[in-house]
Amino acid sequence: MSFREISAWISLVTVGVCFGVYFGLIVSGAVSPRGLGAVHLLLLCVGALVVLQIGSHAVAARLAPKDARAPRDERERLIAWRAQSLGYYVLMVGVLALGAPAHFGHPPADLLNFALLDVVVAVMTVAVAQIVLYRRGG
Amino acid sequence: MPPPIANQIRRLRFEHGEMTQSELAERIGMTRQTVAAIEAGKYSPSLEAAFRIAMVFGVGVEAVFQWRGEADGA
Repeated sequence: MSFREISAWISLVTVGVCFGVYFGLIVSGAVSPRGLGAVHLLLLCVGALVVLQIGSHAVAARLAPKDARAPRDERERLIAWRAQSLGYYVLMVGVLALGAPAHFGHPPADLLNFALLDVVVAVMTVAVAQIVLYRRGG
Repeated sequence: MPPPIANQIRRLRFEHGEMTQSELAERIGMTRQTVAAIEAGKYSPSLEAAFRIAMVFGVGVEAVFQWRGEADGA
Protein backbone atom coordinates (compact mmCIF):
# COMPACT_ATOMS: atom_id res chain seq x y z
CA MET A 1 0.00 0.00 0.00
CA SER A 2 1.41 3.39 -1.00
CA PHE A 3 2.01 6.20 1.49
CA ARG A 4 -0.80 8.26 -0.07
CA GLU A 5 -3.30 5.42 0.21
CA ILE A 6 -2.29 5.02 3.86
CA SER A 7 -2.76 8.78 4.22
CA ALA A 8 -6.31 8.48 2.86
CA TRP A 9 -7.03 5.70 5.37
CA ILE A 10 -5.62 7.86 8.18
CA SER A 11 -7.84 10.74 7.11
CA LEU A 12 -10.94 8.52 6.92
CA VAL A 13 -10.39 6.86 10.29
CA THR A 14 -9.30 9.93 12.27
CA VAL A 15 -12.06 12.18 10.91
CA GLY A 16 -14.60 9.38 11.43
CA VAL A 17 -13.51 8.77 15.02
CA CYS A 18 -13.11 12.41 16.13
CA PHE A 19 -16.30 13.74 14.57
CA GLY A 20 -18.11 10.48 15.33
CA VAL A 21 -17.47 11.24 19.01
CA TYR A 22 -18.50 14.89 18.55
CA PHE A 23 -21.78 14.19 16.74
CA GLY A 24 -22.45 11.13 18.91
CA LEU A 25 -22.36 13.26 22.06
CA ILE A 26 -24.42 16.03 20.45
CA VAL A 27 -27.10 13.71 19.02
CA SER A 28 -27.36 11.62 22.21
CA GLY A 29 -27.95 14.80 24.19
CA ALA A 30 -24.92 14.27 26.44
CA VAL A 31 -23.74 17.72 25.32
CA SER A 32 -26.17 20.49 24.42
CA PRO A 33 -25.58 21.75 20.85
CA ARG A 34 -26.44 25.30 21.93
CA GLY A 35 -24.23 25.75 24.98
CA LEU A 36 -20.57 26.60 25.40
CA GLY A 37 -20.01 22.88 26.07
CA ALA A 38 -20.49 22.13 22.37
CA VAL A 39 -17.81 24.68 21.45
CA HIS A 40 -15.38 23.16 23.96
CA LEU A 41 -16.18 19.67 22.68
CA LEU A 42 -15.62 20.81 19.10
CA LEU A 43 -12.26 22.36 19.98
CA LEU A 44 -11.28 19.17 21.82
CA CYS A 45 -12.24 16.99 18.84
CA VAL A 46 -10.43 19.23 16.33
CA GLY A 47 -7.35 19.23 18.59
CA ALA A 48 -7.49 15.43 18.85
CA LEU A 49 -7.88 15.21 15.06
CA VAL A 50 -4.80 17.36 14.45
CA VAL A 51 -2.69 15.36 16.94
CA LEU A 52 -3.90 11.99 15.58
CA GLN A 53 -3.32 13.02 11.95
CA ILE A 54 0.17 14.41 12.59
CA GLY A 55 1.13 11.40 14.72
CA SER A 56 -0.23 8.82 12.27
CA HIS A 57 1.36 10.51 9.26
CA ALA A 58 4.69 10.75 11.11
CA VAL A 59 4.60 7.01 11.82
CA ALA A 60 3.59 6.20 8.22
CA ALA A 61 6.35 8.47 6.86
CA ARG A 62 8.90 6.78 9.12
CA LEU A 63 7.90 3.36 7.80
CA ALA A 64 8.22 4.48 4.15
CA PRO A 65 10.38 7.64 4.11
CA LYS A 66 11.20 7.51 0.40
CA ASP A 67 7.55 7.07 -0.54
CA ALA A 68 6.51 9.93 1.76
CA ARG A 69 9.08 12.37 0.35
CA ALA A 70 8.37 11.61 -3.31
CA PRO A 71 6.12 14.10 -5.13
CA ARG A 72 2.79 12.84 -6.44
CA ASP A 73 3.10 11.17 -9.84
CA GLU A 74 0.51 11.60 -12.62
CA ARG A 75 -1.73 8.74 -11.43
CA GLU A 76 -1.73 10.01 -7.85
CA ARG A 77 -2.56 13.55 -9.05
CA LEU A 78 -5.42 12.14 -11.15
CA ILE A 79 -6.76 10.17 -8.19
CA ALA A 80 -6.57 13.25 -5.94
CA TRP A 81 -8.35 15.36 -8.56
CA ARG A 82 -11.15 12.83 -9.09
CA ALA A 83 -11.68 12.32 -5.36
CA GLN A 84 -11.71 16.07 -4.65
CA SER A 85 -14.18 16.67 -7.49
CA LEU A 86 -16.54 14.15 -5.91
CA GLY A 87 -16.04 15.73 -2.49
CA TYR A 88 -16.81 19.15 -3.96
CA TYR A 89 -20.21 17.97 -5.23
CA VAL A 90 -21.02 16.42 -1.83
CA LEU A 91 -20.08 19.72 -0.18
CA MET A 92 -22.21 21.75 -2.61
CA VAL A 93 -25.27 19.50 -2.18
CA GLY A 94 -24.88 19.77 1.60
CA VAL A 95 -24.61 23.57 1.46
CA LEU A 96 -27.74 23.81 -0.67
CA ALA A 97 -29.54 21.36 1.64
CA LEU A 98 -28.83 23.73 4.55
CA GLY A 99 -31.72 25.79 3.24
CA ALA A 100 -34.17 23.17 4.53
CA PRO A 101 -33.35 23.37 8.27
CA ALA A 102 -33.02 27.17 7.90
CA HIS A 103 -36.50 27.27 6.36
CA PHE A 104 -37.96 25.25 9.23
CA GLY A 105 -36.55 27.66 11.78
CA HIS A 106 -33.67 25.66 13.28
CA PRO A 107 -31.48 27.82 15.52
CA PRO A 108 -28.04 29.01 14.25
CA ALA A 109 -26.20 26.45 16.43
CA ASP A 110 -28.01 23.61 14.64
CA LEU A 111 -27.26 25.13 11.24
CA LEU A 112 -23.61 25.35 12.22
CA ASN A 113 -23.62 21.67 13.14
CA PHE A 114 -25.34 20.74 9.86
CA ALA A 115 -22.66 22.71 7.99
CA LEU A 116 -19.94 20.98 10.01
CA LEU A 117 -21.51 17.60 9.24
CA ASP A 118 -21.47 18.51 5.54
CA VAL A 119 -17.74 19.30 5.69
CA VAL A 120 -17.06 16.04 7.55
CA VAL A 121 -19.06 13.98 5.04
CA ALA A 122 -17.27 15.72 2.13
CA VAL A 123 -13.83 15.04 3.65
CA MET A 124 -14.73 11.39 4.27
CA THR A 125 -16.10 11.10 0.71
CA VAL A 126 -12.74 12.34 -0.65
CA ALA A 127 -10.88 9.78 1.49
CA VAL A 128 -13.19 6.89 0.48
CA ALA A 129 -12.98 7.87 -3.20
CA GLN A 130 -9.17 7.95 -2.99
CA ILE A 131 -9.05 4.52 -1.34
CA VAL A 132 -11.41 3.02 -3.95
CA LEU A 133 -9.41 4.56 -6.83
CA TYR A 134 -6.10 3.37 -5.39
CA ARG A 135 -7.58 -0.14 -4.96
CA ARG A 136 -8.90 -0.11 -8.55
CA GLY A 137 -5.59 1.03 -9.92
CA GLY A 138 -6.46 4.54 -11.02
CA MET B 1 -13.78 -1.06 -17.50
CA PRO B 2 -10.00 -1.46 -18.09
CA PRO B 3 -8.48 0.67 -20.88
CA PRO B 4 -8.24 -1.21 -24.23
CA ILE B 5 -4.46 -1.03 -24.22
CA ALA B 6 -2.17 -4.03 -23.87
CA ASN B 7 1.43 -3.68 -22.76
CA GLN B 8 4.63 -5.68 -22.78
CA ILE B 9 6.21 -4.14 -19.70
CA ARG B 10 6.46 -7.37 -17.74
CA ARG B 11 8.25 -9.14 -20.61
CA LEU B 12 10.50 -6.16 -21.27
CA ARG B 13 11.46 -5.96 -17.59
CA PHE B 14 12.31 -9.63 -17.64
CA GLU B 15 14.43 -9.19 -20.77
CA HIS B 16 16.28 -6.28 -19.17
CA GLY B 17 17.96 -8.18 -16.37
CA GLU B 18 14.71 -8.86 -14.49
CA MET B 19 14.33 -5.19 -13.71
CA THR B 20 12.01 -4.69 -10.74
CA GLN B 21 8.92 -2.49 -10.82
CA SER B 22 10.63 -0.23 -8.27
CA GLU B 23 13.68 0.21 -10.51
CA LEU B 24 11.51 1.06 -13.50
CA ALA B 25 9.41 3.41 -11.37
CA GLU B 26 12.50 5.23 -10.15
CA ARG B 27 13.83 5.66 -13.68
CA ILE B 28 10.61 7.19 -15.00
CA GLY B 29 9.84 9.22 -11.87
CA MET B 30 6.75 7.34 -10.74
CA THR B 31 5.75 5.20 -7.81
CA ARG B 32 6.03 1.41 -7.86
CA GLN B 33 2.22 1.22 -7.41
CA THR B 34 1.70 3.25 -10.58
CA VAL B 35 4.03 1.00 -12.57
CA ALA B 36 2.14 -2.02 -11.19
CA ALA B 37 -1.19 -0.45 -12.23
CA ILE B 38 0.13 0.28 -15.76
CA GLU B 39 1.55 -3.23 -16.07
CA ALA B 40 -1.74 -4.77 -14.93
CA GLY B 41 -3.61 -2.73 -17.53
CA LYS B 42 -5.59 -0.84 -14.88
CA TYR B 43 -4.19 2.58 -15.70
CA SER B 44 -3.26 4.18 -19.03
CA PRO B 45 -0.19 6.37 -18.62
CA SER B 46 0.20 9.78 -20.24
CA LEU B 47 1.98 9.98 -23.58
CA GLU B 48 5.03 11.41 -21.81
CA ALA B 49 5.15 8.50 -19.35
CA ALA B 50 4.68 6.01 -22.20
CA PHE B 51 7.69 7.51 -24.00
CA ARG B 52 9.74 7.46 -20.80
CA ILE B 53 8.97 3.75 -20.30
CA ALA B 54 9.85 2.97 -23.93
CA MET B 55 13.12 4.92 -23.62
CA VAL B 56 14.15 2.92 -20.54
CA PHE B 57 13.82 -0.28 -22.59
CA GLY B 58 15.37 1.28 -25.69
CA VAL B 59 12.38 0.51 -27.91
CA GLY B 60 9.59 2.44 -29.59
CA VAL B 61 6.29 3.16 -27.81
CA GLU B 62 4.47 0.72 -30.08
CA ALA B 63 6.73 -2.09 -28.83
CA VAL B 64 5.53 -1.40 -25.28
CA PHE B 65 1.86 -0.47 -25.76
CA GLN B 66 -0.67 -1.86 -28.24
CA TRP B 67 -4.21 -0.65 -28.88
CA ARG B 68 -6.80 -3.42 -28.31
CA GLY B 69 -10.00 -1.46 -28.94
CA GLU B 70 -12.00 -0.92 -32.11
CA ALA B 71 -9.98 -0.05 -35.22
CA ASP B 72 -11.71 3.35 -35.50
CA GLY B 73 -10.58 4.24 -31.97
CA ALA B 74 -14.04 3.84 -30.38
